[in-house]
Amino acid sequence: MNCSPFDLRDFLLRELTPPQQRQVEEHVETCESCRQELDRLRLTQTALSCLADEEIPQRIAFVSDQVFEPSAWRRAWAVFWGSGGKLVFASAAMLSIALVVSPMIRPKPIAPAPAATVISDAEIRQRVEAGVTRAVTDVEAQYRSRTEQLVKDLEQRDASERRLLQASYEDSYERLRRRYERVQLAQYNAGEER
Amino acid sequence: MIFRAVEDADLIQRAARGNVEAYNLLVSRWEKRVYNYLLRITGNREDALDLTQDVFLKAYQNLRKLAEPARFAPWLYRIAHNEAYSMFRKRRPEADVEELEPRGAETAVAVGGSSVFPLELSLTVAGALGRLSADQREAVVLKIYQGFKFEEMAEILECPVSTVKSRLYAALDLLKAELAPLETRGA
Repeated sequence: MNCSPFDLRDFLLRELTPPQQRQVEEHVETCESCRQELDRLRLTQTALSCLADEEIPQRIAFVSDQVFEPSAWRRAWAVFWGSGGKLVFASAAMLSIALVVSPMIRPKPIAPAPAATVISDAEIRQRVEAGVTRAVTDVEAQYRSRTEQLVKDLEQRDASERRLLQASYEDSYERLRRRYERVQLAQYNAGEER
Repeated sequence: MIFRAVEDADLIQRAARGNVEAYNLLVSRWEKRVYNYLLRITGNREDALDLTQDVFLKAYQNLRKLAEPARFAPWLYRIAHNEAYSMFRKRRPEADVEELEPRGAETAVAVGGSSVFPLELSLTVAGALGRLSADQREAVVLKIYQGFKFEEMAEILECPVSTVKSRLYAALDLLKAELAPLETRGA
């Protein structure tokens, strides 16, 4: 046991504030048991320091190989495609196509047939309504079909892009792994020869 | 011409942007320290070298996640600690974390000690370190050999500062009992 105002191990490891360090220094000047305890701690620290650090047997370095890295265009595309841009792009593409296609498929106005017979107003209204309903249904069906086709195309494109990127990464990783093994083997053989 | 010391923080920022040369410079500054930390907790040079390579690869892959470049050292050693314990677990999956002990004799590490001190002393110190528990030994390595602060050690070991201090001081008391009388007698 010691009667130091602060833990002597904290003092040894310089974990105390400067005033606290001074207090301990002053204390051990006058206290024999604390001085002996501190001496033992210092001896322990000195003994531990006899185990010096070793040199690392092999330096570590990383290599950047442009050949195996995706091109700038592919990286930019991956960033864009991986972000919210995909949805924006898909929406914009669908809207543009809809705007272009819409006037082309709009039904042409039907020329009025010569009135051979007298038709009542109610029958005319009924025929017009039926015609409008049919035309609207046709247009809606066409839009639905085209939208589905667009979404399908975009999904296929997305999947194929992802497959390409995945294949590219796997290929790069495999080449790097093989090269690393060759280097390791060469170093091992060189070590064996020595 | 103006010379300016390139800080680790500069290198970390450049490496995080994909500059491999900056990362290699950073590795060259830290590889020896990390290797020796791993060597002292695994007691095996081959394991320590393999783990050091894994640590720097993992650090490169996760460098963008490092929020504060000033905390690079404890962050790097946290990776090293995890890699070492992951290796221990793979080799002894049935053991508890507390029971995980490094494979290989610590005396092998002592042979590489400084030539200033006699070999017998190096062996004695390595033996004393080897008799500590894995937790106590790691605390000694991080504080005495690597010079970390208690807060940094707590970050590396993911435990409270009080636990770190308790492990270190228990280890110091054991080492003192074994090494200080020996030195006193030898003096």
